[in-house]
Amino acid sequence: MFEVIPPRPAPAGVAGIGGWIRRNLFSSPANTLLTVVTGLFVGYVVIAVVAWALFDASWGQVWANQRLFAVYRYPADLLWRPMAVLAAMMALIGVMGGAGRSNEILRGLFWSLVGFVAVVTVIAILFWPSARVLWTGVLAASVVGYALGAARPALVRALPWAWAAWLFLGFFLLYGVTPGSGLLRIVPARDWGGFMLTLILFTGIVPSFPLGVALALGRRSKLPAIKYTCIAFIEIVRGAPLIMWLFVASLLLPLFLNTDPNNLPAILRAYVAITLFSAAYMAENVRGGLQSVPRGQTEAARALGLGGWLTTSLIVLPQALRAVIPAIVGQAIGLFKDTSLVFIVGLADFFRVTEIVANQPASLRVTGGVKLELYLFVALIYFFFAYRMSIASRQLEKQLGVGTR
Amino acid sequence: MPDTAPAAVRADAPTDGQPIIEIEGLNKWFGEFHVLRDISLSVNKGEVVVVIGPSGSGKSTLIRCINHLEEHQQGRIVVDGTELTDDVRNIDQVRRETGMVFQSFNLFPHLTVLENITLAPIRVRKWKKSKAEERARFFLDKVGIPEQALKFPGQLSGGQQQRVAIARALTMGPKVMLFDEPTSALDPEVIGEVLEVMVALAQEGMTMIVVTHEMGFAREVGDRVIFMDQGQIVEVGTPEHFFLAPREERTKAFLSKIL
Repeated sequence: MFEVIPPRPAPAGVAGIGGWIRRNLFSSPANTLLTVVTGLFVGYVVIAVVAWALFDASWGQVWANQRLFAVYRYPADLLWRPMAVLAAMMALIGVMGGAGRSNEILRGLFWSLVGFVAVVTVIAILFWPSARVLWTGVLAASVVGYALGAARPALVRALPWAWAAWLFLGFFLLYGVTPGSGLLRIVPARDWGGFMLTLILFTGIVPSFPLGVALALGRRSKLPAIKYTCIAFIEIVRGAPLIMWLFVASLLLPLFLNTDPNNLPAILRAYVAITLFSAAYMAENVRGGLQSVPRGQTEAARALGLGGWLTTSLIVLPQALRAVIPAIVGQAIGLFKDTSLVFIVGLADFFRVTEIVANQPASLRVTGGVKLELYLFVALIYFFFAYRMSIASRQLEKQLGVGTR
Repeated sequence: MPDTAPAAVRADAPTDGQPIIEIEGLNKWFGEFHVLRDISLSVNKGEVVVVIGPSGSGKSTLIRCINHLEEHQQGRIVVDGTELTDDVRNIDQVRRETGMVFQSFNLFPHLTVLENITLAPIRVRKWKKSKAEERARFFLDKVGIPEQALKFPGQLSGGQQQRVAIARALTMGPKVMLFDEPTSALDPEVIGEVLEVMVALAQEGMTMIVVTHEMGFAREVGDRVIFMDQGQIVEVGTPEHFFLAPREERTKAFLSKIL
């Protein structure tokens, strides 16, 4: 007679936390030794860093130079302008987060940015009387955007236009319109800097996306003129380091455009270099995606009577881009950190501000200097954003891996 | 006098019908390789022509030439009065009137079944979405899977996917259907459901050219069978002729291997 054997509990040492520790950390004498040594080392480092950060470090210079880190020499009385651009950005991200709140990734990205803004807002309310209203406004804009997106998900369709308008109007708001002291007076680009500049340069990834897609498609073109122009551009740009292109842009671009270098702010030149550099890499990522779409897809579309353009835009590109989204996010993370190279052409981005602050008389008076504190602060901020993107990228890979093909 | 090439076997349609496909003296090369040699073939409205032959005989290439997925270098191909030339307008015109079903289905994996089917009618025929969806559901019903409309292709079995592919081609309202080994990639137990759909289609009077190894299908619904080898038409005849009294040695050898 067949009888089902009832399940029995696992023997001690297999299940539970105790079992896991025994199996993974103390399974043999050698393993036990390794565990103890590694544990002592990690413990020592953590204690040393925390002790230093709490008792020995002097964070005064980081705190005193917060505005340099944030916006560099952007005039204090005009701070509402970058803050308005930031508020608009958070509102747009809010619409995205609200409309896509069933999507773990969009929701997660939105709330971690709002968390960041909220922390700064609390600090502002406590310590920065002049910025209280502005930061509260940014926080409010995020929440309003979220509510709008949640109530009217159809707004998402307007987002590409909204982002384009944001880039365009944002630039004019930051730069100003009238010289001298009138309404929206011009803030020369040499006064821009800090984390604001890092974010501005990072937005170069946005125009580099359509450019990269165009280059990738051009590289597959049947017309030799287009094909070889695209190949030449991609290979030449990828063949030299970004630092070199930053130099080329700052020295040669004014020459090519036949204009005085002073008419072309250094930021604009660096922005062009970063965008084109990123576009070349984007093109190669997208090309990988295009190659991953089977030929049968194109044939099926053509056999149904769809023309070349419709086949590319409706059948091939959606599948190709879906395949390379993780690679594109990886590229964005890389670009975010690579923007720090612009110090080489004299721009004071977030990273460069550490050097400037470190050489202030107040910093030099501190025994041992304050470089470590400054670098640690900057590293933490970079890490927060890069790691958050990295989490999103892994979630994306998981999400895209299921249910497709 | 120089030697002339041996005369090619012609596969002309019966003269009592109305020809919808006419192929005359078709030659095609892949690089140096002469893949189609002096093919002459015509097909009447409502005829079901089955093309058989060993792999590499050029039978898939032949039907891929008919909707210009492959370009030919010599000869004429006329489909429903439109000659295939380099003119893109002619090519698109022919593709609108011919539906094609592939061995590997080639459904669009990022679109639902319904979107797969309505995409071309909306974009190419410029139908309203409601009309396209109505027609799509009609044909999904016809191929026996109306309940799968909102799923993605990856969630369907191979047999279901191929039936969606047939519905997708039919919704465009083609005058001719081309089948390129439609059951070769399927598990044995689902081949039957796809063949059933094709038999029903043939009985409704659809003009069909079918490249297949399914001899049961050829025998049951084929009006004419064409045997190809090495890029040539070797023998043409009714299914009875083929399966009871083939004439050519090469045909006999091929049939003895697969029957």
